[in-house]
Amino acid sequence: MKFAIAVFSPAHAPSSRRALRFAQAALAGGHEIVRLFFYQDGVHSASANVVAPQDEVDVAAQWRAFISEQQLDAVVCIAAALRRGVLNAEEAQRYQRPAVNLPAPWELSGLGQLHEGAQSADRLICFGGD
Amino acid sequence: MAKSLLIISRQAPWAGPSAREALDIALAGGAFDLPLGMLFLDDGVFQLASGQQPAQVQQKNLAANLQALPMFGVEELFAAASSLHERGLAADSLSLPVQVLDDAALAALIDRFDQVVTL
Amino acid sequence: MSTLHVISHSPFGDNRLSSCLRLLGSQDGLLLCGDAVYALQPGSEPLASLQARQLQGRLFALEEDLQARAIVADDCVRAIDYPAFVALSLDYDKVNSWL
Repeated sequence: MKFAIAVFSPAHAPSSRRALRFAQAALAGGHEIVRLFFYQDGVHSASANVVAPQDEVDVAAQWRAFISEQQLDAVVCIAAALRRGVLNAEEAQRYQRPAVNLPAPWELSGLGQLHEGAQSADRLICFGGD
Repeated sequence: MAKSLLIISRQAPWAGPSAREALDIALAGGAFDLPLGMLFLDDGVFQLASGQQPAQVQQKNLAANLQALPMFGVEELFAAASSLHERGLAADSLSLPVQVLDDAALAALIDRFDQVVTL
Repeated sequence: MSTLHVISHSPFGDNRLSSCLRLLGSQDGLLLCGDAVYALQPGSEPLASLQARQLQGRLFALEEDLQARAIVADDCVRAIDYPAFVALSLDYDKVNSWL
């Protein structure tokens, strides 16, 4: 079965970690993840600048590794990201901002990608809030 | 056939970007001609109060954008009767034409959509 | 059509659980995760409300969250792991997370 998974919370939120565990279990169960979409504060789950304390789980790093290893389609909503200061090189250049904190494997795109993922999936599952 | 999506908006209008970001999901879906519905529940019904002055808190006019929903093809707009009642909002005083639903009708509403997002 | 509702906020000082229970359909399921498992705290009013709803076979909680908080699952709830969470999301027609 196909899943579209949307994440609405930052890396330090329990729900971001929970989303990752769900995504891992979905693949382990033989299912497909057609898209990961990061919206609202979920854009912070994609930040390359998160520095987790050494004795804590680094959820941002785990998302990056998971997406790269599994070659998943991971989209960060551009409007939500700009508002929250999560920029790739192109946007940092466009808006003359001093830092780039959104590298590969993340892509910046619009809400249309959330809808497209939802339309092509058997289930849309959202994580966030806490 | 396109899957239908119900967007449930539960946050008050000026409680950060949540109300606007829920609306943006609806407008984006409408632009793609997707079958959508929008339900205002809990503090989300405060988005529908008339006579608000968002400029006072340096916010954009959310009500004007909500009123654009039908233009984007999103005509199925609902509000929870219990949420309105709890908050002293009269159904006939709202800034948006919505169907007011009781709890049983809300359960039936959620039931008939293929997918739901609640923010 | 059946919906699996997912709640992750504590019921104490938050109205997501009570709002959800008002519009929970007769075929719907409810999964408690994160701080929402505090609704299963023995002797609490939220637990009494959940028991009164007679959600036999339709009430679930994420095992890791129960254990983290030292909450012993009541008979009315089924504790699940992530593989079971994935399976549950497919048993129901859709998932509604109360973000």
